[in-house]
Amino acid sequence: MGLLTILTKMKQKERELRLLMLGLDNAGKTTILKKFNGEDVSTISPTLGFNIKTLEHKGFKLNIWDVGGQKSLRSYWRNYFESTDGLVWVVDSADRLRLQDCKDELSALLREERLAGATLLVFANKQDLPGSLSKEAIREALALDELKSHHWCIIGCSAITGENLLAGMDWLLDDIGARIFTAD
Amino acid sequence: MSGAKARSDAPVAEDVSGTAAPPRDRKPGGGVLKRLKSRRSQVDSRPVTEEDLRTQSGDITPEDVLGLRVATRGYLCKPEANIYNVDFVRFKIRDLETGTVLFEIAKPPHADDDEENREADSSTGRFVRYQFTPAFLRLRTVGATVEFTVGNRPLNNFRMIERHYFRDHLLKSFDFDFGFCIPNSRNTCEHIYEFPQLSDSLVRQMVQCPYETRSDSFYFVDNRLVMHNKADYAYNGGQ
Repeated sequence: MGLLTILTKMKQKERELRLLMLGLDNAGKTTILKKFNGEDVSTISPTLGFNIKTLEHKGFKLNIWDVGGQKSLRSYWRNYFESTDGLVWVVDSADRLRLQDCKDELSALLREERLAGATLLVFANKQDLPGSLSKEAIREALALDELKSHHWCIIGCSAITGENLLAGMDWLLDDIGARIFTAD
Repeated sequence: MSGAKARSDAPVAEDVSGTAAPPRDRKPGGGVLKRLKSRRSQVDSRPVTEEDLRTQSGDITPEDVLGLRVATRGYLCKPEANIYNVDFVRFKIRDLETGTVLFEIAKPPHADDDEENREADSSTGRFVRYQFTPAFLRLRTVGATVEFTVGNRPLNNFRMIERHYFRDHLLKSFDFDFGFCIPNSRNTCEHIYEFPQLSDSLVRQMVQCPYETRSDSFYFVDNRLVMHNKADYAYNGGQ
């Protein structure tokens, strides 16, 4: 039995995963986190630090970290990369003016060695807003099709209505689960 | 709430027989290695008493408090040990079955000023007494949220260890790594978990013996104890 096998088995027992939610400020990270956990989302303030949720879902113990996206906080994101199994990148699909900014920040993250092993889920959020871009348009704007280094998926969602939040999380967990827990 | 933090989650008889993975180097491509995790299943340290810890030299470490078998009588550090100005400003418990908030206290802004001007014993701001109804011990899924602010220095390796006891019986030991905290930040953490189904006789005793259910919350920065808060609990409310 090799070391990796032993470690895989140890992890299998706990099935504990660490997910990191990032994105520009006002993308809807905290709203997604709260909605996903059945909390009131009518008043959400800008996150000036982090919000953590630990919960059980689909047999996994999830530790989800939502770190504030304001420009002044982005330099601290690196402190949360370690041991991340899944990166959730949240996009405000109605914020056309900052799409380039959004693409640049994501590209920088995907070059990080400590995120090299993470699966990427992109939430094209705010699909409930009339002026929002489709997930296809976001996919193009972020040049996701050129991304070969990570498993990825983009899902259109609305943190306010809750649409597709579960579908996104389930895809993410399935992908991570298949990568980690069957790596024997 | 004067900066004290306490949770009133009901006690859990937790399996502590697992093995903690030793620290390992991370290998790109897998989240398997060197994980920051909640350490729920790690082995408890060798038993120690409060007296042992008071007489030992050096800082009190996570391993030390994991060896405690009853709630401490006093505090294992002074309020001044909180050199990072970590301040717990909100505590909330909700029932996920019904979506209702069962309990919420928030520290009013500027409460610190009053505290500093007051000559008080060492428990001021560090102790909370909770009163619940017996129904509290029959909840199924709860979410316990804490909100805290951090002073103007970054925190490295911020870790919480919380021990819940009924008399001399350890009901639950909770261990969580916050890791890094941004200077001047405001952070929240909600643990959502299944309430254990306690035996009828244990529930009866806990209801009949108010404030014999106790908890110690220990906070470490870089493995040094910086805060110690206490709480006790009654479950005979409404009777």
